[in-house]
Amino acid sequence: MSQLPLEGIRVMELTTGAAGPTVARVLCEFGAEVIRCETRLRGDGHRGEDPKLWNKKPDFMKLQRGKKSFTVNMQTPRGRELVKELVKKSDVLVENFGLGILEKWGLDWPDLQLINPRIILIRVKGMGCTGPHAADLTYGPNVGNTMATTYLWNYPGATTATAEPRTQHPDFMGGVTGAFGVVLALIQRKKTGRGQWIDSAQQEIGASLLGPKYLEYNVNKREPQPEGNRSLVAAPYGPYQCKGNDRWCVIAVYNEDEWQRFAALLEKFGLKRDPKFATHFQRMRHKEALDKWVTSWTIQHDPHDVMELVQGVDVCAAVVQDVEDQFKNDKQYAATGFLVHMNEPEAGDMVTENVPMRLSLTPGKVRGLAPLMGEHTHEIAKTLLGLSEDEIRKLDEEKALY
Amino acid sequence: MANPSGPLVGYRVLDLGGPLSLHCTKLIADMGADVIKIEPPSGDESRRVPPFKDDTPHPEKSLYFLHFNTNKRSITLDVEKPDGREILLELCKKVDVVIETQRPSRAQELRLTYRDLSAVNPALIVASITPFGQSGPWRDYKANDMAGIALGNLLYLAGEPGEPPLQPPGEIAYGMASTYGAFGIAVALYHRLESGKGQHIDVSMHECAGHIAGYFIPNFGYTGEKPARASRKGEETDLYDPYKTKNGYARIFIIPIEQWRRLVDWMGNPPSISGPEFEKMAYRRKHPDIVVGAIAEFCARHTKEELYEQGQKRRIAVTPINTAGEFIEMEQTKARELFVDMEHSVIGKYKQFGVVPRLMETPGAIYRPAPLLGQHNKEIYTGDLGMSNDDLVALRAEGVI
Repeated sequence: MSQLPLEGIRVMELTTGAAGPTVARVLCEFGAEVIRCETRLRGDGHRGEDPKLWNKKPDFMKLQRGKKSFTVNMQTPRGRELVKELVKKSDVLVENFGLGILEKWGLDWPDLQLINPRIILIRVKGMGCTGPHAADLTYGPNVGNTMATTYLWNYPGATTATAEPRTQHPDFMGGVTGAFGVVLALIQRKKTGRGQWIDSAQQEIGASLLGPKYLEYNVNKREPQPEGNRSLVAAPYGPYQCKGNDRWCVIAVYNEDEWQRFAALLEKFGLKRDPKFATHFQRMRHKEALDKWVTSWTIQHDPHDVMELVQGVDVCAAVVQDVEDQFKNDKQYAATGFLVHMNEPEAGDMVTENVPMRLSLTPGKVRGLAPLMGEHTHEIAKTLLGLSEDEIRKLDEEKALY
Repeated sequence: MANPSGPLVGYRVLDLGGPLSLHCTKLIADMGADVIKIEPPSGDESRRVPPFKDDTPHPEKSLYFLHFNTNKRSITLDVEKPDGREILLELCKKVDVVIETQRPSRAQELRLTYRDLSAVNPALIVASITPFGQSGPWRDYKANDMAGIALGNLLYLAGEPGEPPLQPPGEIAYGMASTYGAFGIAVALYHRLESGKGQHIDVSMHECAGHIAGYFIPNFGYTGEKPARASRKGEETDLYDPYKTKNGYARIFIIPIEQWRRLVDWMGNPPSISGPEFEKMAYRRKHPDIVVGAIAEFCARHTKEELYEQGQKRRIAVTPINTAGEFIEMEQTKARELFVDMEHSVIGKYKQFGVVPRLMETPGAIYRPAPLLGQHNKEIYTGDLGMSNDDLVALRAEGVI
């Protein structure tokens, strides 16, 4: 079996929510051993409030798969000491608590450097670690608000606040970007032998994709407005309504060759080509009529058929899939094994997303189930911390390992 | 002008990619790698993407191109011509990483697959960032960002009932695929430090898009529950929709009970929602008219900035729904110097988005604006490849550069 590239790297995780856990999860998939510190005093947002459900949450499974769970009570001095012992033996510490918590625990960057000069600390925060709003309390859905994603995700001329759905993509993109930063710091550490800390602001990472919008403001001195599904370089472009209840297929035609093939396909189905669609310029000018013409064809067909027919003439097309489509109709996911089934001890069959990338020599993988609360506490206390059974029992009674 | 900085200083990268990998090559270039962007002689297609400075379409005035190509050097090269391909292979011998986005069948036709490129340099790392990856029945299908978002179950959720699904701003399927690509390159470079071996990285945008929507795949797999189209109600909170304020909107996101208590206290304990039964989210969900009504009435009396400042002071997750300009002008954005001063020979002086994430010991830097088309032909062809000026004239006449 090929060795995973981050084997031998130990990651400590002091996190809640999604963005921090995602950093560690991505590292775990490429071989890192991840020790997630948590406490029975309270399940985190994804384990939930009800202890009976701690080990049965699909969202928790997605975020924590492959990790170890070490229960420790950071409100006890002994608990904090044990975590410091673990930091001594680790390479990376991932944290995303509110600003000030790490400091309170004596795990601020200056403290950490004394404990272990090789440690790499990544602090995942909504707004970053500096500035007047560094201590802001934000969840994934808050992060898009300040940077204009929420505002811009709307129909042109909309009178509502947003059409943004309940998603939290900055959590996931922030997590992978953070993992990128950690591996860069590991590369750097090979040269210098020293660690460093990373200020990973979810807001800034999400915003980094909106650069052209900010340049509209910075260069053209104009406030960008919601554009809906507009494109100036492709026509037809956008989701077209298909047969069925609220079914859609995206079609995008980028150049003359594609247009000729696409129009010929529709002609095969008996549609007449309108001379006013002769050039890209004309098609943009008559966009509404063009969209009607395309819809008069798509509305007669199942979206999956539309996708196959249009891709069959080498033009971009994609079903607007719901999650059920992803399970039942996505031939690509089925062929590449993207949906991974796992058998959780308490929850039973669960499904999660595979690593969306393959490295030919050192492929990553989903390395295991999400840990039960405290599943590895004893093992870690014994092997890594070298505690005796008596000591572990005592710490358990003191609610330090709790 | 400043110099490159960051942990990737000393690494050289060839950028053969299209829009799908723009954010990847930017992440790598901003962390110090010398990224050589190979453009067809007619210019990269992203030079034709709006918006443009002063709304004037021009290859050097695309603000889209300007954002995504900081720090890169540009050479023109038609890799589909035999001489162009030979030159590309020469360049492959001198670099650490190649990033490409060709559809797999086209890469084979052009003999520019991982196998072809690594044959001249076994330590080479090649990242192929493509719509569907290198295998499976859809591997040669075409997909843009919206197609990725559509297949990833994110488009379906966005928009109003009865209206078309609505694409998010910012090409986040491209962005996620690019981010995974950059992470994969970092992992492969780290591995190569010990093994000395290169490898092929195969990133599927389609699978990356499957990661960004949220927890829908695990939830459906476990419970069979499907989120409603156009639903903006979170299952984590009952207060998901933004509230109207005196000047726009703000979002209040409440999960733990302490935050609910702080919110009620902040609002002056209005009797309609102060009962202990309202501390349970399940109860609040059963009475949205009372709860949302009271909060809406409160928010309407304040500006979004007041709600943000005062709410955050009280440890409540309140954020304003900002425009791009409001984000740029935010105190936080300015305090963190997120935008840096740049000068571009056609655009002039402007402010450019900075580097993410921030490594405190070896930070990346924006030290050069996006290149002009073929700006670095001479220094790379005559300098790095040792060609003569006559060679350049001949290649130009042939349409290779």
